[in-house]
Amino acid sequence: MKKSLNVLLIEDNTIEIMKMNRTISLLKLDHKITEAKTADEALKILEKKDSLPDIIFLDLNMPKISGIEFLSILKKDEDLHHIPTMILTTSNNKKDVLDCYKIGISGYILKPLKYEDYVAKIESALNYWSINELKIS
Amino acid sequence: MSQSQIDILQRTLKREKAARKAAEKILEDKSRELYLVSQELHVSNEKLQDLLNEKSSQLKGVFNNILDAYLVMNLKGHVLEMNDAAKDLFGYDIDHERLNVVNLIYMDDEEYAFNSFFELSEKGFFSNYTARVVTKTKEVKWVQINASIIYDTDNNPIAAQGIIRDITEDKEDEDLLKQSTNRLSSLILNLDSGVLLEDENSTIVLTNTKFCELFKIPVLPDLLIGQDCSDSAENCKHLFQDPEYFIARIDELLKNKKQVLAEEVLMADGTILERDFIPILKGNEYNGHLWAYKDISLKRKYRESLETQKNKYSNIIANMNLGLVESNKDGEILLVNQSLCEMSGYSADELVGKRINKLLPYIGGQKIIDQQKEKRLKGESNSYEIKLKNKNRKVKNWLISGAPNYNLKGEVVGSIGICLDITDIKKLEKQKEKILKELEKSNNELHEYAHIVSHDLKSPLRSINALTSWIKSDNEGKLDEMTLQNFDLIETTLEKMEQLISDILLYSSAGSLTNEKEEVDLNIVLDDLKKILYKPNHISIEVLNKLPVLNGEKIKFQQVFQNLMSNAIKFSNKEKGIVEIDVKENKSFYQFSVKDNGIGIEKKFHDKIFKIFHSLQESKESTGIGLSIVKKIVDLYKGEIWIESELNKGTTFYFTIKKSINENSTT
Repeated sequence: MKKSLNVLLIEDNTIEIMKMNRTISLLKLDHKITEAKTADEALKILEKKDSLPDIIFLDLNMPKISGIEFLSILKKDEDLHHIPTMILTTSNNKKDVLDCYKIGISGYILKPLKYEDYVAKIESALNYWSINELKIS
Repeated sequence: MSQSQIDILQRTLKREKAARKAAEKILEDKSRELYLVSQELHVSNEKLQDLLNEKSSQLKGVFNNILDAYLVMNLKGHVLEMNDAAKDLFGYDIDHERLNVVNLIYMDDEEYAFNSFFELSEKGFFSNYTARVVTKTKEVKWVQINASIIYDTDNNPIAAQGIIRDITEDKEDEDLLKQSTNRLSSLILNLDSGVLLEDENSTIVLTNTKFCELFKIPVLPDLLIGQDCSDSAENCKHLFQDPEYFIARIDELLKNKKQVLAEEVLMADGTILERDFIPILKGNEYNGHLWAYKDISLKRKYRESLETQKNKYSNIIANMNLGLVESNKDGEILLVNQSLCEMSGYSADELVGKRINKLLPYIGGQKIIDQQKEKRLKGESNSYEIKLKNKNRKVKNWLISGAPNYNLKGEVVGSIGICLDITDIKKLEKQKEKILKELEKSNNELHEYAHIVSHDLKSPLRSINALTSWIKSDNEGKLDEMTLQNFDLIETTLEKMEQLISDILLYSSAGSLTNEKEEVDLNIVLDDLKKILYKPNHISIEVLNKLPVLNGEKIKFQQVFQNLMSNAIKFSNKEKGIVEIDVKENKSFYQFSVKDNGIGIEKKFHDKIFKIFHSLQESKESTGIGLSIVKKIVDLYKGEIWIESELNKGTTFYFTIKKSINENSTT
């Protein structure tokens, strides 16, 4: 039985958010997407310790606090560092990939050019996490 | 008988009687005279006898008291008489023993002795017989004998007498003299100076080999002795640079008879001679003169070249841009050059005699300077940097090259330092370091920037793609064929754009070597590429020879081969496509080739294809950046790239990778 996931999507691009939402509805998945347009917004959402997300999709290239900076804050936080976080980005910069894995990530997904490819990748990622045992909040 | 006959006879008789009477008278007179004379003679005879007796006894006394040995012997050599000196000389005393002179003869002189004795008996005397004798005590002595034969009144030889002089000591002295004369002669003969000794009559007394050599006289010096040399100057004047002056000067010297030493004479061939003229005086009497000539050309040349060298180096030292300071063991300045004065701000007068560190105080590191000085005094040369304050209190960086200074005995007496003001160089060095750091930083930034830009450019493409996809799916069945085709074109354009951005990113990162260097086995790289590259079945890829292992960035070598190979595959138009990869090893580089049998490239495009964004074919995979990346990487490894191609037959790309750069690039 697939679990319904609480997903936090941290992404500044409106169309990218639309892509995620449209993918969920297209696939008729029962996951809850919470959107945060900036890292600050995301941190505010994460302050509510009683409703923490199951997984996080994180864009790297964001204004003010970058994805990597946010990741560092997240992984230093006792209450939050357990949350599986996946990078969702267009950057295949080797340095970024390495840095992220060093800090601690649960996946690094490159945004493909074609929407169909995107749908396929997101589907398999969500499927993977929905069959995993997660910390029950 | 006729009367006339009788008369004649009578007259004759008469003359006879008269004559007899006259004769008788003369006889009588003569008899008387004779008697008188005989009387006188008797008297004088008696006188003579007395005289003789007197002389004999006188002589006897002389012989007895004579200082030289004297002896008388009979003709068989038996000694009859000898004086005390003779007894002393020979050690024999004939009062007690018999002595024959033969016993005295020294064996080697026997022949000479008998010859002389023979001469004595023939001629009645000999003089200056010089030989050795053996005394009774077996001592050998040199003697000189003058001897004569003694005759009786009938002039028969009866004995011989001789005066013997002991010349042993004279002889020894003479030998010594001879030895030293010989030594002197050979010394003079082989003397480095040409020597000519003339007597007062211009006759050569002595000369030597060197003299003959200098004056080009082609005979042995011995042959010249005794020759007249009054016109020899005239004969050899052509050897001299100024022949007339040479003659005039010789005449002048001979006239003045004054000693002149070390006078220079120039020969025509450039030889420089030094001449001594030494008159020889015995008391006040002029006895000849000595010429001595010495070849000093070499000495002079040494001196001149030494002088030239000295001037040369003095000039260099004075005018060089490096400061020079010479100091003694206590660090007191002995000598400085102009540059050092300019560097330090002090004048030479202000510096000389002062201690260096008093005038030019070091900033920190006095210990180092002391250590270096210590080393120098031990004979070590060294080079080090110091910081000091000059006269204007400005901090300067100097590079000092110090070396110990030695005296003629080879003892260290101080140091010589060459100083270079490197203050500006130091500043530049620091600036360079700073700039390099900034450059590295901006390079990194640029790299990051390229990624960010490519991300920023790629994101909208994704959005457009998603949006068109949604429009299509949202309007399924409502769109006409034309619109759908246009949507497909939008997608193709997006893909092209995406590829372009990726390639630009690759190109921008291909420009710099990172520090990630490793040994790259190209055989493995090629095997991997064969797996990665999309390859239709009709195309075969072959590696003809074993590829080398290079040092560098694996990704860059991979990019080169990947681009060339994918081009070869892309532009294949034959039923059986062939891609061949080969390598040739040269002394300093490897030459690789990637050959295909595809469409080929027209000659006029051969140069253009390596330029960025220059694609010969309009296709969605071809951005015109691939070969630019290849060229950039080959440039990076100090190689060259070129092509050989014929339209429709195929293309071969050649490129080289330098071995040495490749080896050096490991550091």
